[in-house]
Amino acid sequence: MTHKSGKGTGSSSSSACAACKFQRRKCIPDCPLAPYFPADQPKIFQNAHKLFGVSNLLKLLKSLDPAQHAEAMRSIKYQANARDLFPVHGCVGVISQLNYQIRLLQEEFHLVNAQLEMYMYRQQYHPNISSISMADNVHLPNSQLQLGMPLPAAVTDANTLPLFNQLPHPYTDSAAAALSSYSNTNSNSNNVGYSSTSCIHGSNINQHPFVPNNINSSCSMAIQSHHPLSLPLQQEQLVQDYDEIHHFFDSIDDRQSYIESKEAYDCSSEESIMKDTTQSMEHVAENELKSAAACFSLTSVSSIK
Amino acid sequence: MASSSYSNSPCAACKFLRRKCMADCIFAPYFPPEEPQKFANVHKIFGASNVSKLLNEVPPHQREDAVNSLAYEAEARMKDPVYGCVGAISVLQRQVMRLQRELDATNADLIRYACNEMPPAAATSGQYGRRSGHGSGGGSYNQNSSGFYYPSQWNSNNGDNESSGGGSM
Repeated sequence: MTHKSGKGTGSSSSSACAACKFQRRKCIPDCPLAPYFPADQPKIFQNAHKLFGVSNLLKLLKSLDPAQHAEAMRSIKYQANARDLFPVHGCVGVISQLNYQIRLLQEEFHLVNAQLEMYMYRQQYHPNISSISMADNVHLPNSQLQLGMPLPAAVTDANTLPLFNQLPHPYTDSAAAALSSYSNTNSNSNNVGYSSTSCIHGSNINQHPFVPNNINSSCSMAIQSHHPLSLPLQQEQLVQDYDEIHHFFDSIDDRQSYIESKEAYDCSSEESIMKDTTQSMEHVAENELKSAAACFSLTSVSSIK
Repeated sequence: MASSSYSNSPCAACKFLRRKCMADCIFAPYFPPEEPQKFANVHKIFGASNVSKLLNEVPPHQREDAVNSLAYEAEARMKDPVYGCVGAISVLQRQVMRLQRELDATNADLIRYACNEMPPAAATSGQYGRRSGHGSGGGSYNQNSSGFYYPSQWNSNNGDNESSGGGSM
């Protein structure tokens, strides 16, 4: 190891920069890499060296204006670190993730905005009307159509029971989308970063109001009868979450997001497995539940009124 | 690895490097001779040796994705030598922050309207609890958003950005 004094950087004044140390060469005072790769961060240089190589870094620095050197090396280090974390997708994974997040935020923003406009409209023209009125039911289909969302079948019959009608669809939709949108869907695992990302998505789904609806169906009925706009949000989010995860990150482990996303998929998978044996029973139970839900929503609305 | 379709003409990598394209050429499946620019970009920015080492570390079924992401990054670096694809990340991160701010503001408005419209506290909490959770600034969405900024946030910290990214490795 060479130990030189009089380096360009303050932090590495007593030793060679990480680049020279890694290459076991003498770090001269005007070493072009010394300002960007201090001796106490060897891993960062190793990442940059592994992805770009020292000669490419030097060529890049030579081709740029000195004023741009710092920014260029910063982006190089960021890119190299991303590739080290995600060997398959690198920065492209980050870009896909950000695109996905933007889509989520836009969807959420549109929904909240639609709801806000509904409130503003009601306050402007019907200042005394209660929010638990039939106006909700009148506005709901319009807002869904405006938002380009599929109109759930449950709205048309009972407006109370989204579970039985909708649960299987997001699963199949997402699987089909994943198959059609990504060429090689067989690439799984190996990526810690994406696993943690799917954890983020999982927690996102867990925090979503879909959870209480599945855990406590009676509660969901009450919420549905009070607040119809939660229905399109649930359906849209669920479809989108699983669709997008598969679409952008084929390496995200499906198991984890399914585990994180609780009983919804247990229900759907069980449903598919037990379909043949329990179909008739389900029909009976579903009809009973639907009628009960309809009664419940009517009674809850009327009682609150 | 190399399929029979590449046996006639060498792959773009071997053609560029002027070497014989062997049957087990690691580049052949991903750099067809019809796309010479793809390999030229990757070679100029990363170098063929680095790319082949990187591909060897990746499982075969993920190599196509890895090559495509490398080709994207190389093209971005050719177009913008200073920022490369990180410039796109910067733009997207700013967009996320702007959307988050707009969403928070709209959520705050929504809560205000909802509270004005529904004096009974019980009904408000029951119906709009989840909404207020999102809109209360420190709600779940904010936490999620911060989680999205990996490996580190490009915009926020200038000098120490890399150290945080490097430290997590």
